[in-house]
Amino acid sequence: MNKKILFLIAFLTISFGSFQISSAQSFDFEKLEKIVSEVSVIINMKVEYSFGAHTNEQEERYLGSVVSEDGLVLYNGFTLSGDNPISALTGMNVKTTTSEITVTFLDGTEYPAEFVGVDRFSKIGFIKIKADDHKFKALKFISEKKYKVGDWVALYMLLPEYVQPPLSADVGMISTLIETPEEFPLIVGFNTLQMTSVLFDENLNALGVLGQLSDPSQSNTDQAGMIESFGSFGMPLLGLITENRIAKMIANPPEKGKTDRGWLGITLQALTTEMAEFWNLDITGGIIINDIASNSPAAKAGLDVGDIIFEVNGQTVEVNKEEKVPIFQRKIAEMGPSAAVEFTILKRTDDKVDTTKVLATLEKTPMTATDSPEYENEELEFTVRDLVFSDYLYHNLDAESFAGVVVSELKSGGVAEIEGLRYGDIIQRISDQEVTSVGEVEVVMDELVEQKVAEIIFFVWRNQKTLFVNVKTDF
Amino acid sequence: MKFLFPILLIFTMTTANAVATANAAPDNSTQKKIFSSRDKVMPALVHIQPVIKNYATGEMEKQAVVGSGVIIHADGYVVTNYHVAGKAERIICTLADKEIVQATYIGGDPMTDISVIKLDLSNYKNKINIAEFGDSDSVQVGQYVMALGSPLSLSRSISFGVISTKDRYFSSNVRLPSGERTGRYNLWLQTDAAINPGNSGGPLVNLDGKIIGINSRAQTFANNIGFAIPINVVKAVVAEIIDHKKVIRSWIGLHCQPLQELEEYFGTNVNSGVLISSIDPGSPAEKSFLKAGDIILELDGQSVSARFVEEVPFFYNIIAQYKPGSEISLKVLRNDETFNFEVLTKQLGDLQGEDFESKEWGFTVKEITRQMQVDHQLDDTHGVLVIGVKNVGVADKGGLRRQDVISKVNDTEVLNFEEFIATYNALTIEKVEKIMLTINRSGAIRHVLLDITKEEGNDKDE
Repeated sequence: MNKKILFLIAFLTISFGSFQISSAQSFDFEKLEKIVSEVSVIINMKVEYSFGAHTNEQEERYLGSVVSEDGLVLYNGFTLSGDNPISALTGMNVKTTTSEITVTFLDGTEYPAEFVGVDRFSKIGFIKIKADDHKFKALKFISEKKYKVGDWVALYMLLPEYVQPPLSADVGMISTLIETPEEFPLIVGFNTLQMTSVLFDENLNALGVLGQLSDPSQSNTDQAGMIESFGSFGMPLLGLITENRIAKMIANPPEKGKTDRGWLGITLQALTTEMAEFWNLDITGGIIINDIASNSPAAKAGLDVGDIIFEVNGQTVEVNKEEKVPIFQRKIAEMGPSAAVEFTILKRTDDKVDTTKVLATLEKTPMTATDSPEYENEELEFTVRDLVFSDYLYHNLDAESFAGVVVSELKSGGVAEIEGLRYGDIIQRISDQEVTSVGEVEVVMDELVEQKVAEIIFFVWRNQKTLFVNVKTDF
Repeated sequence: MKFLFPILLIFTMTTANAVATANAAPDNSTQKKIFSSRDKVMPALVHIQPVIKNYATGEMEKQAVVGSGVIIHADGYVVTNYHVAGKAERIICTLADKEIVQATYIGGDPMTDISVIKLDLSNYKNKINIAEFGDSDSVQVGQYVMALGSPLSLSRSISFGVISTKDRYFSSNVRLPSGERTGRYNLWLQTDAAINPGNSGGPLVNLDGKIIGINSRAQTFANNIGFAIPINVVKAVVAEIIDHKKVIRSWIGLHCQPLQELEEYFGTNVNSGVLISSIDPGSPAEKSFLKAGDIILELDGQSVSARFVEEVPFFYNIIAQYKPGSEISLKVLRNDETFNFEVLTKQLGDLQGEDFESKEWGFTVKEITRQMQVDHQLDDTHGVLVIGVKNVGVADKGGLRRQDVISKVNDTEVLNFEEFIATYNALTIEKVEKIMLTINRSGAIRHVLLDITKEEGNDKDE
């Protein structure tokens, strides 16, 4: 019902938009439709949303575009971006699981596909067609294009299932070229239902996809300074996600369980103009290093707590208020692991300020709560995940001496829930056997299920204390 | 068909109620007992209006509250709840004869939620009445009781009911409005005699006119589920408060869990042993190498056990009653072998520290005690804990938040509460306009710049 209303609104917006601008552009839609038809697929998938013990399964349908010959498809992954690793630490996240994914080309050929992942910043989702050695025709984006206000762009969107043919064209216009927080050609004439549709110029070149600019001040960042996403509150600013960002994702798709983002390993704070003034510094902004994770790239590079980063690779860090910190964090994340970065820093001592350059080699962001491997035990109806770096920070645990696995899901009314395990419990021992990874849990649980033991004793850490939970089984 | 059951249920309940009312109508002798009990306790009932200080909003705000109490000593000592009169600065009491007298705060114990105040009788012309303590151990479930006090500030009210249960357990995670954990060392009497806000601190009495409990909490959204602290607990606590202003307890830093469902796993006998489930970091128990999973069989030669959760507070209390600094000998079962451990107890200390309002800077802080250090997982008791930040005040604009620990003011280290106040006073007198606070937030340091010139009120002075 809601979907229908949304489509109605979309249609009104589309017709209204087209009416306004129909006289100004000149697209050869006959040709464009042919190009689009060859690389477009209709994606059908089942998505299970779970929040705590509540689950809801839904069938979803998207327009996808084939972007590699081996069958990588990009689509709007927004609905699957509820998997927020930051809120997963506190149990306030919506967990999503996809299944039964198929893609259907417009000529009717159908293939099974598998979920790959969603890019947390752009919300572009990726799936991979399962068709062994088949070579698909892939869309090629053009690079290095200069944009100007007034340029026309066109896209195709997917119509509801009861309509044939399935695709409908629309046009929009570049209305301004946003410079910060990131370069982003803003486009008017489109709506959020068209997100991730491929955008074409009047020469029918694929430029990129329709995306949304988010507010960096609403970002999700954890204690380790690991940024996960920018917020998406308020009025959506739609525009062009350009080829250079998409090409990086295609070359290295954001797989679930893979965290190929750059990481420095500092806890940070903005150097506000007022603070710079208070400390008599000659700079107007920067990043104050407040903590450094042990063995992190920052520690290895010799950065110190209290250092102020004011240049990255020779470029000034224009962070002069807390709201701008995520821009710096995202920049580091997007540089990718193994990037060599030169930081220019200020070191403040009692009565003098020194400037030095420090070269650091970024590393992969540590595993996040939603990316960490999971194990589900069907007999006792609970799921655990590995303890990740952020858990240690969030709960203030000692990484050297503390180990366990985190209860990440409990079936409502299931054995484990009734017998007293709780979401977020960190299981340290199962019937006398220490467990430090989901792999170990699987081995121990398999043994206990096979032995048909009458009770399993979990030694768990909960609310800063430990306790024993006796789970009676009915194997 | 679906609706039939609930309707029947309501019907049954109404009928049962009618029958119950008819049966429960007190016969003459019961009515006489109620009257006689009332006459013994009612004259000692006190309506208490303390003014307490609230620091939670970032400013010190005075708050008038209402509670109940009962006179227990000819010198004018009144027992009430800690959450009524704890740390109150001005206490106005209305006695049963409607005369108003002032009272002073003597001391209190947040763990049992008991405090003692003393009436100022210098201008009181009449003679005060004293209520007598009964024996809460001999209370029986189903026994008639009356709750006396000022429900919703309606003074001199009596409600009537029975003891619903006498060993109600609450986890010690419950906190008083002022933030202290409470209830670790006692069980509760549960009654259906109506207890409402304002009844707090009032007496629960038997039909002999003796106090068997101090009413202190009720279940919200429930019908007549109220709880009183058993008077035998109160007696000991009150005696200590009158002597030392507070209750001094021993602490070794262990937490226990009932053994009932774990006897087979640990290979223990029924009603034998107390299971240690958790050990506080840095506590005497940790220093003595006790571990979670150890089962304490004997404490100084006496067998101990906690098979059910209701037995756990009693065990905690045995340890608490040692004089701080005592050595306790524990016989412990670990992996089917028994070992002896000696643990040197420490004083439990204050659950919460003193409060202070940094008025010019727009926030309030609390002294960090050792129990708070354990509670907040801090490395030490250094610094002060921010407990309130005034909305759009100087500190709020600078980015200070509740739960931050201030470790430095400008370049001055803040080792403790007194040093913070001294530094604050010095900088305020000097009218220093910009102050850099170094704080600890979730394990990492941060800087907060206070720009006093930005404060609205200060603009006018310029």
